[in-house]
Amino acid sequence: MMSAAALTRRAAPVLACIGLLAVWQVASLALKNDSFPTAIEAIRAIPDILGDKESLINILASLRRMAIGFGVAVLVSVPLGLLMGRSRAVAAFFNPLLMVIYPVPKAALMPIIMLWLGVGDITKTLVIFLGVSLPVIYHSFEGAKAVEEKMLWSGAAMGLSAAQRLVRIVLPAALPEILTGCRTGLVLALITMITSEMIARQSGAGNILFNALDMGQYDTVFAMIIIVGAMGICLDAIFERIRARLVRWSEPQFDMPLSFS
Amino acid sequence: MKVLPSRSSEWVRPVVSQKPASAIIEIDRVSQVFQTSTRKDHLALSDISLTIEEGAFVSILGPSGCGKSTLLYIVGGFVSPTSGAAKIKGQAITGPGPDRGPVFQEFALFPWKTVLGNVMYGPRQKGVRATEAEAQSRALIEMVGLKGYENFYPKELSGGMKQRVALARTLAYHPEVLLMDEPFGALDAHTRTRLQNDLLNIWERDRKTVLFVTHSVDEAVFLSDKVVMMSKSPGRIRQVIDIDLPRPRRRNELLLDPRYQKYVVDIERMFDESDETGSPS
Repeated sequence: MMSAAALTRRAAPVLACIGLLAVWQVASLALKNDSFPTAIEAIRAIPDILGDKESLINILASLRRMAIGFGVAVLVSVPLGLLMGRSRAVAAFFNPLLMVIYPVPKAALMPIIMLWLGVGDITKTLVIFLGVSLPVIYHSFEGAKAVEEKMLWSGAAMGLSAAQRLVRIVLPAALPEILTGCRTGLVLALITMITSEMIARQSGAGNILFNALDMGQYDTVFAMIIIVGAMGICLDAIFERIRARLVRWSEPQFDMPLSFS
Repeated sequence: MKVLPSRSSEWVRPVVSQKPASAIIEIDRVSQVFQTSTRKDHLALSDISLTIEEGAFVSILGPSGCGKSTLLYIVGGFVSPTSGAAKIKGQAITGPGPDRGPVFQEFALFPWKTVLGNVMYGPRQKGVRATEAEAQSRALIEMVGLKGYENFYPKELSGGMKQRVALARTLAYHPEVLLMDEPFGALDAHTRTRLQNDLLNIWERDRKTVLFVTHSVDEAVFLSDKVVMMSKSPGRIRQVIDIDLPRPRRRNELLLDPRYQKYVVDIERMFDESDETGSPS
């Protein structure tokens, strides 16, 4: 049997979702606005979208771009961030560049990239790549910088070369921080995925959403928002499971009770 | 340079303290200048020369800021001296190596590895086969008193236990010299005493050369064959004192021994005198 506290904790997210939908439903009924369908109307539209082959192809195309953009970004950004964290010269070279790129909304670069690479997959994947890279580089950099010097000395005394220390000490030691960056990157991948499809329509989940908006199919618009949101929650939950497994050694040993519980 | 005795001859050395003849570490007119945050040069070590004999337990004792840890890091090859040179067995020290095993106050364990994983790390790096490395490591873990904790992660251990793991991890790759940087400085008094006792027991089995940095007079006298007293601003060797106390040493006997008490009192007095005349850093 679960304790009352555990039961509450389990039920809390479900209750939160139901609460949100209830507020939505009431607000929509009260406002009586055509462009604001009720929650029930939006939920009813979900099976239509997921049952449609064309829509599914669109959504899968989005996910594929997102996976490639995210994957390549992590593969490039983690080594770069780690090197920056351990080498002043590398950091001095890349830091100003990243400072310039960081505040720029990546979607704002899209029109230019579209001029160079067209409106296809490459452009959208590149924008996702840019969106994911920066937080991953930043967190890898911070993680690598924070690695205890004495830990590296211990490795050096055992005969590890500089390259071995980077891969076998800095990487695992910085992993919790790297994965925090990846988690932020994953959410940003989803956001840039949708915005890229808003700017360059052609295919994708964003394409369905904004086409429906143009045609005034508001129930589909809100259904897509729910679907994208659900995708985000699922991806994050999967990632969190993987993360927790990888860095179990660094997590606090017991769940500390929060101050107000 | 003299040919060193083979490892096997160390094992048959009599238990009673004897002066080993050959120098293993030579520190020759080492100075170290650091730049402070205000861009001024700070002379951390000034003209240090010291010879450490093989098999000796040598403590470097001094107030904080006297550069005693820096001196240890220079021998470890982690820091290059501004001038002068350090040698191990006649070879100039140019970087860290498995012949010198550090144990740090901060433990510096690999937190993503279990106790066993940490201890096996060095032997595996040396190319020892996994099964063999594991057997040796398990024996070492038992020797430092942590049998049963092989699969624990460092975060699950207390400070004293972490330092035991760090010691086992370093002993596992058989360094010729142990470099201990205030290893018990972060521990509470009780744990500290227990680790001192255990360290002596372990050390008395094979008598590796130990360079031990501390600011505790009792600790230095209790453990060492030789105490190198340093003063600060700039860091200099003030005096080298031979501690002529019988081994194996047992704490309960030693604390009552007037010779031990005299060493402690004399060294403390010398520090007090230097505090009164010494300039603040």
